[in-house]
Amino acid sequence: MSSYVLMKILESSPERYDRGIRMLNGGKVDAVYEAIADIAARPGGRVLDIGCGTGNVSIACAQRGAEVTGVDIDAGMLEVARSKPPPPIGSVEFVQAAAAELEDHFAPESFDSVVSCLALSEMSPDERSYALRAAHRLLRPDGRLVIADEVLPAGRFRRLAHRLARFPSVTITWLLTQTTTRAVPDPVELVMAAGYQHVEMAERFGRTLMMVSARRPPGPGGSNA
Amino acid sequence: MRDLLLRLFPHRHPTGLVEIGAPGRESPVIVTGNYTLTVRRMKRALRGRDVHLLVADSGGINVWCAAGGGHFTHHDVVSVIRTSGISDLVDHRRVMLPQLGATGIERRYVADKTGWDPHWGPAHLEDLPHVLDRAGRVPVADRKVRFGLRDRAEMITVWALPMALIGGGIGLAFGGPAQAAAVALTMVAITCAVFALVGRVPLSGPGRFVTLGVVASVAVGGAWVAMEAVTTTFSSRDAVLLGVAATATAGLLAVDLPGTTPWYPSAMAKDAFTVELLSESCTGAADCVTVCPRGVLRMNGVIRKVEIVDPDSCIQCGACIVQCPENALRFRRADGRVVEPETIRTTRLNLLGSRTIEVSH
Repeated sequence: MSSYVLMKILESSPERYDRGIRMLNGGKVDAVYEAIADIAARPGGRVLDIGCGTGNVSIACAQRGAEVTGVDIDAGMLEVARSKPPPPIGSVEFVQAAAAELEDHFAPESFDSVVSCLALSEMSPDERSYALRAAHRLLRPDGRLVIADEVLPAGRFRRLAHRLARFPSVTITWLLTQTTTRAVPDPVELVMAAGYQHVEMAERFGRTLMMVSARRPPGPGGSNA
Repeated sequence: MRDLLLRLFPHRHPTGLVEIGAPGRESPVIVTGNYTLTVRRMKRALRGRDVHLLVADSGGINVWCAAGGGHFTHHDVVSVIRTSGISDLVDHRRVMLPQLGATGIERRYVADKTGWDPHWGPAHLEDLPHVLDRAGRVPVADRKVRFGLRDRAEMITVWALPMALIGGGIGLAFGGPAQAAAVALTMVAITCAVFALVGRVPLSGPGRFVTLGVVASVAVGGAWVAMEAVTTTFSSRDAVLLGVAATATAGLLAVDLPGTTPWYPSAMAKDAFTVELLSESCTGAADCVTVCPRGVLRMNGVIRKVEIVDPDSCIQCGACIVQCPENALRFRRADGRVVEPETIRTTRLNLLGSRTIEVSH
């Protein structure tokens, strides 16, 4: 088997992901996981975590008593997620699937909440809108969507300044953990375009992380097609 | 040049539909991974043709390594077929998958989930024009991996260039310009010789140490003679320097030389597997024959079953086992234990070439 040694060493590594994300966000990211779970999870509620990665948001939701399904395309990430101790209450299950395969696994309107943290930014623009529309169909009427992702400041100059200011920490983090993040151009616009209502920026964490919450319109037939 | 420098690094091309030429509703649809170099070569190979190219997420890694390492799977292919909107752009449902992705992409899964009719393309993308001219049918010769002059030259460059730079620097520090040149040239000569010899002398297993030892000794001897001829200051310290440089070069190459060629199982893999065919289960679907990059298997038209014709060429990639609809192929370990097809489908190679990474379905 052709193993390009360097390439294998330098490829993103699930084991180093959690550490890399913490380094990039100065520990803020734990607050994000908790904030998402505070809005999205309640005892007995069914939660879908799209792009669950190493399972932090899924576990935070389960700790609030929810029945959580975490979905990710990366087998290595899921391996790390499954290795974490299960929470005392609630339940977590992890499934390997692409965001575009959600509807192969779950029935329409089968979730009370859909969450996604630092995952939409890993997808192509096509996949992002596909995933949000699929999530819309999987949510029960009036169900809630909560996403959190990295954003870039508005304006070309401020964006450049932002990139320059972050350059040292991004470089060091990548060298040490081969983990990096990308940004979603405009999460609010993205969620609105997928047919959600009550779209609002729920909270900002520093300059780079934004949490957006929205609802599927109440009543059946809330189609977004 | 940029391609060469980036050769060993993952490098992501944006995923999604890339139109080559002016594709229409009957134009072919081809899937590839998102290693930037692959996409660029694809465009070059298909210049002058009209093709819908679907770039799937392989983590910025080449198709073969990504599929073997679990980064390029049927999930990625299903995702790009569904999210790119390609179904609305063409009237047919034929999609060509990269043959070297067969260790990770289950063809039948893609067919089930998308309703498309996936078939395997050639092993080398340079053969795509040739295959497209034959209406997508891949000639037997195009299924085999080659390690041609160009590939060898590339591997020599990515190995020898950094080594020569570091070695030259050390030579300069311990001697002078003459020593630096001698060390760098010795390292380059060893690398060139080794890659020229791939496929001609034993380079996998313990045999590689003998080969590398001989090559390194010849190179040191040659450099010694050359230095004696051109410089009057050649000392025993220089000889030690050359010896150390040659040993370091041979040592580095010995770590996983077989793994950087498409011809051998990785030298770092601990388990040796032999592929085994359960003839009574074989229904002659011949999926395995179309994905084997080494020509190990052949369809016997008389008995309508597959046969193993060249077991020694097997590189244990597992593609045939992953694709077999009847589970008629499997691995057997050196200690006699059987590795079931399902295990092969749900594990991928880790850095050391062992099947430890688990994937679920």
